[in-house]
Amino acid sequence: MDIFWFLTFAVLLAGYFALEGFDIGLGALLPVLGRSPADRDRLVGAMAPFVLANEVWLVALAGVLFGAFPVLDGRALSRLYPLVVVLLLAWIVRDAGLWFRRRADGAAWRLAWDGALWAGSTGLALAWGAILVAVARGLPASPLDVPAVAGGLALLALLAWHGRTFAAWRLQDGPRGSGRALLLSACAAAAPAVLVMAAAAGHMLGNAAPDQTLTVLSVMVVPAAPILVGAQVWVWRTFSRGALPTFF
Amino acid sequence: MDVVDLARTQFAVTGSLHFLFVVLTLGLAPLVAIMHTRYAIGGNPLHERMTRFWGQIYVINYALGIVTGLVMEFQFGMSWSGLSRYAGDVFGAPLAMETLLAFFLESTFLGLWIFGWHRLPRGLHVACIWLVTLTAYASALFIMVANSFLQNPAGSAEEGGRLVLRDFGALFTNPTLVFALPHVLSAGLWAGGFVVMGASAYHLFRRTPEREFFTRSLRVGVLTAFVGSLFTVGFGYAQFGPVGDVQPDKFHGAVPGTALGLMITIGQLVQFTVMFVLAPLLIRDVLARSRWLHPLLMVMTPLPFVAAIAGWLVREVGRQPWMVYGKLSVADALTPGLTRADITASFAGFAGVLGLLALVDYVLIARAVRRGPGRVALGAADLPVTAEPVPAHSL
Repeated sequence: MDIFWFLTFAVLLAGYFALEGFDIGLGALLPVLGRSPADRDRLVGAMAPFVLANEVWLVALAGVLFGAFPVLDGRALSRLYPLVVVLLLAWIVRDAGLWFRRRADGAAWRLAWDGALWAGSTGLALAWGAILVAVARGLPASPLDVPAVAGGLALLALLAWHGRTFAAWRLQDGPRGSGRALLLSACAAAAPAVLVMAAAAGHMLGNAAPDQTLTVLSVMVVPAAPILVGAQVWVWRTFSRGALPTFF
Repeated sequence: MDVVDLARTQFAVTGSLHFLFVVLTLGLAPLVAIMHTRYAIGGNPLHERMTRFWGQIYVINYALGIVTGLVMEFQFGMSWSGLSRYAGDVFGAPLAMETLLAFFLESTFLGLWIFGWHRLPRGLHVACIWLVTLTAYASALFIMVANSFLQNPAGSAEEGGRLVLRDFGALFTNPTLVFALPHVLSAGLWAGGFVVMGASAYHLFRRTPEREFFTRSLRVGVLTAFVGSLFTVGFGYAQFGPVGDVQPDKFHGAVPGTALGLMITIGQLVQFTVMFVLAPLLIRDVLARSRWLHPLLMVMTPLPFVAAIAGWLVREVGRQPWMVYGKLSVADALTPGLTRADITASFAGFAGVLGLLALVDYVLIARAVRRGPGRVALGAADLPVTAEPVPAHSL
């Protein structure tokens, strides 16, 4: 049972980076790929219908951490305290940029929230890179140092590449970016997290919740798994091609 | 303030902000779903305009519900790791279920609904908003299950210094849950009804051209508030029995006592006003035509929100000094080694950013109300996927 929930956790983490990774990367590249306001509207329009379905993988991940590995949840989040604060603030600012950029008229308003979208996305990538490095090193007492910054910058570059591949695929700029290229960049975006997970496997399995808790979780959640997967597939079938929705 | 007080205040501030937005989400979701269903069945363009206008208010409000909720979820591990160590094997289960069975689906279906205009078949599009409503209510259920466990740790037993799960079903039949859940859901309907009522009163008072739209909306708002307030008050009083059994001194402190008085005063006065004044005036649209009453309706709009926050103060401050009632104190639940600097910096960051965004969000909601149903972005035309040729500038 603990192996099942560890694998669920690993799949959610990998899925988060494969999916939300391109939203983060595209947001971080917004000033580069979107020189004009119209270009930025198209880039945001490309990712907008996916964001709600993508970011929620991290919410689910945190839920599984708390439900199936409660002791680790407290230990990891309190050890990583400053990084988690930065991660959350960046996430909040990124989401505010998306939700608010079209809610009032005026070039200055949209530019300001596009700035929030860029800053939040960049902050998310940097914070995640530092967090993965800290977890790989076994949660050091002070998680902010040179390797952490290097990890942040490396992840930022990786996710930016993933975001760019997604934009080329969805917006058909130049030669149509192929689905295979997007699949490749998605796997690459998930790879660092998967490696860190593999390294942490023994530690996680030793700290899972007792079997009666995990059984209850399984009985409740597993029957709904096809609906969760189906909803995600429906999003991709609906928004992968065609015109770009304009709400964000 | 010491570290415990700071961490408590942080949780209280982010939790209150979260609920201000969530209570409206819970109330507006079913209303928008019903409007959308009526449009899908009858094809009346007025129902489509109502769906898009009130739906836009709903989604603007939703943004803050998400971002405040993220902070709530992570705060347990960050500030209160003693809770996960002592009771995580029980308390964590409903929270994990909330994220997987409710919010994961809610967020996915909400994206399909927001961006699915002109794209999804009408029936499936309506199904999305109903699924959003259903999963939002499921979220409320799981969160209230978790909160009720803190009030009265049913279904668990202490073994080796930690709580273990004994009876999962007992979490759902917890006496501190069964009346509190419908109380909270009805309060959502009340808040949603009042926002629809107040916004409609604004347009009727200003004599904007959308007379029929807002006359009908006013009816929806007052009737929703009628149902919501009746059940909120009923299930409110119904809680005195079970709460008296498990937490006999809950209302003795200054804060819970005062907040309880405030909530009951607002609840009782406003419920009587809705039942005996506003609802009867719906007959022959007297309320819509009584322009002198409209400013009063606008002023009343925030009252269910004030009562809702007061209600949470009663429930949560009345649990002190316990985190898990009678088992684990709040001080013992605090993360060991959490410093004053940590908590002060994160509190300033979260409260500052979320407070500012909450203000912006309310301004945007007011702006969307003021602009009226004629200029709604939700369901607006799509952009072409390829870049449009840039028009040449004339000299």
